[in-house]
Amino acid sequence: MNILIKSATIIDSKSEFHNTTQDLLIENGEITKIANNIKNPKNYQEIKLDNLHVSQGWFDSSVSFGEPGFEERDTIENGLKTAASSGFTAVALNANTNPVIDSNSDVTFVNSRAYKKAVTLLPIGSLTVNSKGEDLAELYDMNTAGAVAFYDYKKPISNPNLMKIALQYASNFNGLVCSFPQENKISGHGVMNENITSTKLGLKGIPALAEELQIARDLFLLEYTGGKLHIPTISSVKSVELIRDAKKKKLDVTCSVAIHNLYFTDSMLNDFNTHFKVLPPLRTQTDLDALIEGVKDGTIDMVTSDHNPIDVEQKKVEFDHAEYGTIGLESAFGALQTIFTLKKTIDILTKGKTRFGLENTSINIDEKLNMTLFNPDTKYTFSKSDIISKSKNAIFENETLKGKVYGIISNNKVALNN
Amino acid sequence: MSELSVNHLLGIKYLNKKDIQLIFETADHFKEVINRPIKKVPSLRDITIANLFFENSTRTKLSFELAEKRLSADVINFSSAQSSVKKGETLIDTVNNILSMKVDMVVMRHPNPGAGVFLSKHVKASIINAGDGAHEHPTQALLDSYSIREKLGEVAGKKVVIVGDILHSRVALSNIFALQLQGAQVMVCGPKTLIPKYIDKLGVKVETNLNKALNWCDVANMLRVQNERMDISYFPSTREYTQQFGVNRELLDSLDKEITIMHPGPINRGVEITSDVADSKQSIILDQVQNGVAIRMAVIYLLASKIKQ
Repeated sequence: MNILIKSATIIDSKSEFHNTTQDLLIENGEITKIANNIKNPKNYQEIKLDNLHVSQGWFDSSVSFGEPGFEERDTIENGLKTAASSGFTAVALNANTNPVIDSNSDVTFVNSRAYKKAVTLLPIGSLTVNSKGEDLAELYDMNTAGAVAFYDYKKPISNPNLMKIALQYASNFNGLVCSFPQENKISGHGVMNENITSTKLGLKGIPALAEELQIARDLFLLEYTGGKLHIPTISSVKSVELIRDAKKKKLDVTCSVAIHNLYFTDSMLNDFNTHFKVLPPLRTQTDLDALIEGVKDGTIDMVTSDHNPIDVEQKKVEFDHAEYGTIGLESAFGALQTIFTLKKTIDILTKGKTRFGLENTSINIDEKLNMTLFNPDTKYTFSKSDIISKSKNAIFENETLKGKVYGIISNNKVALNN
Repeated sequence: MSELSVNHLLGIKYLNKKDIQLIFETADHFKEVINRPIKKVPSLRDITIANLFFENSTRTKLSFELAEKRLSADVINFSSAQSSVKKGETLIDTVNNILSMKVDMVVMRHPNPGAGVFLSKHVKASIINAGDGAHEHPTQALLDSYSIREKLGEVAGKKVVIVGDILHSRVALSNIFALQLQGAQVMVCGPKTLIPKYIDKLGVKVETNLNKALNWCDVANMLRVQNERMDISYFPSTREYTQQFGVNRELLDSLDKEITIMHPGPINRGVEITSDVADSKQSIILDQVQNGVAIRMAVIYLLASKIKQ
């Protein structure tokens, strides 16, 4: 693969060319030259785009595509196309499937679907058999097939002893255990954040307490067992505090937050719009502010779109019956830039790779090419026409976002949007 | 002529003060009608109303049906204790099937909060919410306020305590919105387990001592404990609940004023209220039931007149 990228502003704090506008020469999948006005040596493909910016490829630690089993929501092929178009060169895929990805052959199947694609797909295996929270799945076997972490998607491990054993067992092979932060007995039949809005709507609330209790429990367990713990999608002030304290104690814990939890509060649910039904639920402005602070100071390691396509039949129903989840890959960059500076946004989108077994790259000479191309300044209203996912359940629909993606160059492939 | 600001009655929180005044003035007229020898007016001869009850109901359903018939509307009834989703048909499809038989208005009771709001966005008919989960029961709150107005002259400035299971109660929520809109002060009283944690943010007082609550109020609206909505026990026993939150004659006599007692029904005699209180002259429980028909006639009439435009 030989390409000449013209006049691109490099956003990469690890690069000596950070914040400068350069031409980049790519030969055989490696960056061979970065300079002003590079001449096209041998009629290479030339990429010249308006206000072009480039960074190392972006990573999302939590996406769901549905396949196998929920192909009506989306397929892995279209999911990876969505990821590429949205600027992501790697995504970690949840075992939110039917059957659940809980064996070596399941992981191999998922990998086969991503073979030779521009986007690297990192399968997450289920932590327990069929994500039932009863017996450990074959974690080591899945690990050898390429599973990068183990997670019962959005299902808490209610039995503390099982979580203890999972952490101990996975530490044998340095496996990453994920624990959904929710104490189910406290969350009960709740469907949204417990606060003034849930009170006004008569909807059952999920108190932040449910999340915090589970995180506190898991941190105690981690302190006892050692091992590696990842807590996906936290949502409350006290959760941030708990993890901040755990990091001070040098526990090997990471966590993420969903972009929509940094952007919307539970007041959006005022007219029972099921597009805003997500888990963990949208919470209050105080929570939102603390989460943003947590991202800024590094307490929160990763920000995820928590992309989860849900077909309209599961969303266009009474609020209590609607499925949780929103798509988010397509809106991720544009939404983050309404909250953070460009530099911070890129920093966020490229963090957490090594935790999930990926290498960090940078935009430097002799580096392997793994790159996202974008225009950070385009302002637009996010609408259905911006959605590539098969399901259109977008929480960001009608929001004004900032920044559009041109595409990616990754795995020796150029995937540019029209 | 005045008209409502809304095309549906989905909850009190979607109404304004003028709407409530208009409903009350219209209900005054209909209350006079239903006390005539011929209790019927021909106003809605060209209107067809479907009563869709996806949850059990006796009095509300009868009250609506009577209101509709006294306005000369054509009425069809559909009752299913099962939600339509469980049967495999969506709520929108169920209702659209009924609407395609040329129905103009839907009165719906449904176990899920927001079901009426949801439906109003997806079907072409005027919707009246006859209770949606723990969300709202607007006609109940209207008839409650109307009954207070009838008994005490006005609602503004009155102190009303709602006693009992606030957590699972659409009646409580609609009453809070309605009473506040009309300038009354509202208190809720019950065991802490049955009071939503953040209810004070609605601007209501919270009291866990019934004696103090009754001493404060002009009106006490006693709610039924909704055992059918509870997934766990929120208090150890009915006996213990009654000891703390049941109103009896002795308690009423110990107050230095005569308060008005209300209850949306059905009453659990001897639990939240004793018989001698329920049947006393302080109680306006049966007036509430009669006013319910007049209020529902008013709401249906006012919404129907918007359809006719």
